Amino acid sequence: MDPKTAMYVAQGIHGLAYGMILFLVASGLTLIFGMMGILNLAHAAFFMLSAYFSYQVLVMTGNFWVALLLAPVAAALTGILLERFLLRRVHAFGHIGELILTVGVSLVILEGVKVFWGTESLYLSIPEYLKGLMKIGGVEYPIYRLFIIAMALVVLGILAFILYKTRLGMVVRAAVSDADMVNALGVNVPLVFMLVFGVGTWMAGVAGVAIAPILTVFPGLADQMGMDAFLVVVTGGFGSLSGAFIVSIIFGELSAYGVQFVSALAPVLMFIFMAIVLVIKPTGLFGERE
Amino acid sequence: MMNKALKWMLWIMLLAALFLYPRIFGIYYTNVFVTFAIFALFSVTLNLLLGYTGLLSFGHAMFFGTGGYGAAIALTRIEGLPLLGALLIGFVAAVILALILCPIMVRVSGAAFAMLHLAFGQLMYVLALKLRWITGGEDGVGGFPIPPFVIPGVVSIDMMDPLKFYYFAIAVLGLSIWILWFFTKTPLGSVMVGVRDNTKRVEYLGFKVPQTKAVIYCFAGGFAGVAGAVYALFQNLISAEDGFHVLVSFAPIMMTIVGGIGSFFGPICGAAIFGLLEEVTSRYTERVALVMGLILILVIVFAPFGFLGFLRYVRESVMAKLSWRKGMERAS
Repeated sequence: MDPKTAMYVAQGIHGLAYGMILFLVASGLTLIFGMMGILNLAHAAFFMLSAYFSYQVLVMTGNFWVALLLAPVAAALTGILLERFLLRRVHAFGHIGELILTVGVSLVILEGVKVFWGTESLYLSIPEYLKGLMKIGGVEYPIYRLFIIAMALVVLGILAFILYKTRLGMVVRAAVSDADMVNALGVNVPLVFMLVFGVGTWMAGVAGVAIAPILTVFPGLADQMGMDAFLVVVTGGFGSLSGAFIVSIIFGELSAYGVQFVSALAPVLMFIFMAIVLVIKPTGLFGERE
Repeated sequence: MMNKALKWMLWIMLLAALFLYPRIFGIYYTNVFVTFAIFALFSVTLNLLLGYTGLLSFGHAMFFGTGGYGAAIALTRIEGLPLLGALLIGFVAAVILALILCPIMVRVSGAAFAMLHLAFGQLMYVLALKLRWITGGEDGVGGFPIPPFVIPGVVSIDMMDPLKFYYFAIAVLGLSIWILWFFTKTPLGSVMVGVRDNTKRVEYLGFKVPQTKAVIYCFAGGFAGVAGAVYALFQNLISAEDGFHVLVSFAPIMMTIVGGIGSFFGPICGAAIFGLLEEVTSRYTERVALVMGLILILVIVFAPFGFLGFLRYVRESVMAKLSWRKGMERAS
């Protein structure tokens, strides 16, 4: 393979890795929105919180795998507490109250981490065997990013299995389309809500730990990812998982190739894509409702 | 109803208080007050969308920033531009932005409206950072000349003096707030509330909902631009951080919620509360946003109708208790 093609392929895998991370964050967001009608603006804050947790666990235990296991769970527990004790209380005051509550939570988390961990970048070290390059079909590629892609695929596989092959998944999918009806059929919908909120936050947490060794952990970590994840949800259609998946991959590739070809325009490419989609179809690519 | 003479008295007292304020409290608190007044106008324009029309925008800063950048760039590039001309350019720039966006925005509502604004607001932030030859990148536009306030042949007032700028800013901002207040009392203002409460019925009655929304949107955007332009003049600097950052969008939402949604003066109260809080907390901690976030959560959970709503609740419960006691006395 000549170097130029090799570079394009490398950029493509690069975009795929970012797209996968993006999907891990955006899928939780879109699931929560689809079920509860809440756009969780604190979602990206949980993504970042999990990265900080993983740093803390890594400092205490020195094992990356333990961090990868524990940090997202801790973030998910925080999310569940938020859902149970705050969101549920303001549910009666409509969606605007819930949206603004998540803004408040997001502010508290974003500022709170500065109190506990300071404002400097924190470095996460990964095991030796995940460092370095791997040769695939004549292209040298960092192992860690391939690991991210693989891990994201595993998480997605599990999620898809639960959603489409189990009874619980059936209840969740039914609640996405009509929560009141499912409630009337005798399912404890608030419990399912809490569970979905926890799982969504957990996935954002996994993404947070996965990206921490690449970008380092710093207070602005959530800004870019949060914005991109919202763009994915809006463009893919609120509550649509397949829409979120396709748009995540498109955005990942857009940002990878955008930097290479039109670097001045790269930050706005996603916005342009979103604007085009929304002008043609205001509900997003796969969305059925606003 | 309040007596007319009493009403006039109150107005005159308010004006006198505003006039005397800088002479009593000194230059530092004068500047604090100007900042408060700017955010009061900004919040009132947001409330026009949120409280009156029921549209939550997470990107209102884009009008604030556009107004600020409009005025600042005009003053840098055009020589001898009068002060009011700069303000007008800020206003028009924000209205033009609103006109560009409104074909998309009037078609959506609820969460989609909020998120689209978040996205476009962020787009403006990125543009302000990247279009270096226009906006100066991270440094923003600053150090532009601030022309004196001139009424040809009558008077020329130097605006570099903080005291005189205070009077000018208060006049402009107060007038803008008054215009917006008047706007809510017009028939169109009533249609606006109708759109919030029952869009379908308003449509059945023969009003054009998208067009009404568009007019309100441009109005709110334009006056947010005025607030931004005054801010740029006041600081003699506008940057992406001050003008377009997402926290600038959140500030008026928090002020409106804390002050009291659904009342015209709620956002002004909220701006005052936040101004005071920021003054006090910034003395003790660097993490002002942390305190703001906590307050926001507490307000949403415990007093969802804000400060004014809380006052109303207290007054009503006290009145109810009083009348109940009177009834008991009469009965015994």
